[in-house]
Amino acid sequence: MLLAGGQGKRLMALTANIAKPAVSFGGKYRIIDFVLSNCANSAINTVGILTQYRPYLLHSYVGTGEAWNLDERGGGAAILPPYQTQEGASWYEGTADAIYRNIEFLEEQDAEYVLILSGDQLYRMDYADMLRAHKEAGADLTVSVMEVPWEEAPRFGIMTTDDEDNITEFNEKPAEPNSNLASMGIYIFNNDLLLKALRAEKEDPNTTMDFGGDIIPKLLAQGKKLLAYRFAGYWRDVGTVASYHETALELLGDNPEFDLYQDDFPIMSNTSVQPPHYVGPNASIDDALISNGCKVFGKVKHSILSDGVYVGESATVVDSVLLPGATVEDGAQVIHAILGEGATVKAGVTFGSADPNEEIALVGDDVVVGKE
Amino acid sequence: MARAIGLINANYFTKADPAFTLGRPLASLPVLGRYRMIDFALSNMANCCIRNVGVILPTNYRSIADHLGAGKEWSLDRKNGGLFLLPGSAFGTARRTGRFLIKDLLDNKAFLERSRTPYVVVSSASFIYNMSYTELVDAHEASGADVTMVTAKASADYDDMCGVVAEDGRVTGLTSTVKLGDTAFMDLFVIGREFLLELLENYREVEHLDLFVALHDDLKDDNVRTYEYNGYSAAVLNGEQYFATNMALLDPNVQDKLFPADRPIITKTHDTPPAKYGSGCHVANAMVSSGDRIHGTVSTSVLGRNVIVEEGASVVNSIILQGVTIAKGAKVENAIIDRNLTIAAGTELRGTQDDIFIQQR
Repeated sequence: MLLAGGQGKRLMALTANIAKPAVSFGGKYRIIDFVLSNCANSAINTVGILTQYRPYLLHSYVGTGEAWNLDERGGGAAILPPYQTQEGASWYEGTADAIYRNIEFLEEQDAEYVLILSGDQLYRMDYADMLRAHKEAGADLTVSVMEVPWEEAPRFGIMTTDDEDNITEFNEKPAEPNSNLASMGIYIFNNDLLLKALRAEKEDPNTTMDFGGDIIPKLLAQGKKLLAYRFAGYWRDVGTVASYHETALELLGDNPEFDLYQDDFPIMSNTSVQPPHYVGPNASIDDALISNGCKVFGKVKHSILSDGVYVGESATVVDSVLLPGATVEDGAQVIHAILGEGATVKAGVTFGSADPNEEIALVGDDVVVGKE
Repeated sequence: MARAIGLINANYFTKADPAFTLGRPLASLPVLGRYRMIDFALSNMANCCIRNVGVILPTNYRSIADHLGAGKEWSLDRKNGGLFLLPGSAFGTARRTGRFLIKDLLDNKAFLERSRTPYVVVSSASFIYNMSYTELVDAHEASGADVTMVTAKASADYDDMCGVVAEDGRVTGLTSTVKLGDTAFMDLFVIGREFLLELLENYREVEHLDLFVALHDDLKDDNVRTYEYNGYSAAVLNGEQYFATNMALLDPNVQDKLFPADRPIITKTHDTPPAKYGSGCHVANAMVSSGDRIHGTVSTSVLGRNVIVEEGASVVNSIILQGVTIAKGAKVENAIIDRNLTIAAGTELRGTQDDIFIQQR
C-alpha cells in the first residue's frame, strides 16, 4: 500500500500542479519511480496506490503499472483515491485512515502480509529481505528504521529497541531521545492484525488515524511483537525546495552515494519517447546528468537536465536542476536554480544567483522568465 | 474502421557486402544511437494508427524478434490485429537483391486474407524517414491507383536503388540503378489489399522474382503511380550510407525533421539512466544516448546506449554502438565499434574519412 496522496506543500511551485510523488527527479525519473522500482525489484506484483492531492498526472503516469512490471494477471497497480459512500464523502485524513478506507481492497487481495510505503522517498531497498526478517522473528509488525545523527533524532519518530531489535518504546519527535533509530515510515503488518488494529482505531474518538501517532503505540501497549528492521544506506525524503535541489545534485560527481547505474537493481520509469540528446559544436559540459531529447549548445556545469531540455548558444546553466521541457534561451544564465516543467528563461536573462546565501531560485511549470 | 494494415519486409537483401550490418539483419541494425532500422517504418505505421502489422522475418531473426517483443511500444499488443511475425523464405539469401520477394508474400497470404482493410502499406526496413502514412494513404485513395510507389530524388548515383520512370505520375518503367537526381523507389508502397492478393496469385509461377520485377511487364495494364516524398529521407543500403546517415543526425535541422514532437520514432525502451558527464570531459557535436558515461573526449560522433568513455579516451568522427567501453587513453577515429566491445586502454583504432574502420564483435 503506497501512500501517494501528499501535497508536499514545502516544495512550493514544484507541487503547484502535481502531487509530490509525481514530481520529476534525477533527469528521467519521477519521485514515485524509486518506491515502485523497489516493489518491482522485490517481486511484489500488487500495489495499491493511495492518491488524493492533484492526482491526474500521477494517475496517468502510473497507468496500469506496466513500467514497473505490475501489469500482471492476478496482480496490478490499483489506484485508490478517496470515494463517496452512503454515509457521505470526505477526504483521507491521516495515513491509517487512508488504509482503513481501503480495507475492502486488502480483504479482496487476501494477502498474508501488507507492506505500507510512502510514495515520496528516495532509496533502494529489497523489501523481500525485510519480509524475511519479519517472518523469521515471528513479528506482528516490522518497522524499517535507520540510524540518524543523535542531534537530529528529535526531528524523527524514534524507536527504542532491545538486544534483538524488538521495539520497546516509540517516541514521536522526542526532546531527549534514548535511541537514534528513526522510523522510515515503512511497515510490514500481518494483514489480520492490520485490519483488526485499523477497525479498533476507528472506534477511538480521540484518534488521528496515524500509524506513528496512534496505531504503533497501541500495539506496543498491547504487548504485540514489534520488530525494528535496520536499514543502512541512501535514504532521502525531499521535503523542501532546498533539500530537493541538494538531493538532486548529490546524484552528480564521481561516486554519488546513490548509484543510478546499479544494473542489478534498476530504477524503472514510465519514460517518454525521445531521441538521444544532442551536444552542439560549441557546447561545454562538466559534471552533469543529461536526458534524452535535450539539445545543449551552451555551457552546463554541475547540473541535471531532464527530458527535452534546451540550452541555447552562449547560455549558461550552473548548479541547477532543469525539469522536463525547460528552455534556456541563447545567452541566458541559470544559476543555483530549479526550472519547472516547460519553463523558459528568455534570451540574455539571468535567473538565480551565485551567492550561496541566496535561496534557490525556483520557477514553476510553464512560467516564462524575462520579456516575451 | 482502419483503412490499412502494414507489412514490413525484413527478409531483405542489399547488393552491398553485408559486413556493414555487423552480422545482423538490416532491420535490426542499430542506428542513430538508440534505434534499430525497423523502428522507422514501424513508427510511421504506429503514428498513422495502423494497428495490424506483419513483419516478414529473415532466417536469422533473433535480434528482430527480441527487439519487437509483443509490439507493445508501437501499440501493437492488440486484442485484434497487432503484431504478426511472419516466416520469410531462406530462398534468396545468395541473391542479395531481394526487396519484396513474391514467395514471401504468397507464403503469408493468410495475413492479408484475414484483414478487412482496403489497403496495405508495404515497406522495407532499409530507409530512415518520418512520414505521414495518413497523407500517403489519402493520396493513394484519391488517385485511384492500384499501386502507389513512394519515391525520392536520388542524392547520388546508386547501383542498389530501384529507379522509377513515370509520366504524369503514372509509372511506365523501372530501372535497377539510379543516377543523381533520378526518381528513386523508397521501397515503400501502398496497394489495394485485394488487388495484391490477385496479383500474387497471377505471379505464383514466378514466385522467385521480386514483386516489382514481375510487375514491370504489367505496367501498361496496372495503374501504378508515384508519390513523391520531399521530406528528409536516407537510404541505408551499404556501409557508406550507414555511416553518412548516422553522421547526418548531428545536424539539428535533420533532428527536427526526423523527430517532430507529434510523430515520435518509437523504439524498445530500457530502464537506462540519463547520460552522465564527468568533470573534465570534452563533448562537442555529438548524439549521446541514455546510460552513457563520459569522462574523456567525444566529438562528431554518435553514441549508443550505455557507452563508457573513460578518462583520457577519445572518440572522433565515429559511431559507437550500445554497451561499448573505450578504456583509459584509447583513441577511436573514423570507426564503427560494434556492441559490447571493450577497446583496451591505450589502444588506437583509426580509419580514414574515406575508409571507415569497422570493429566487429
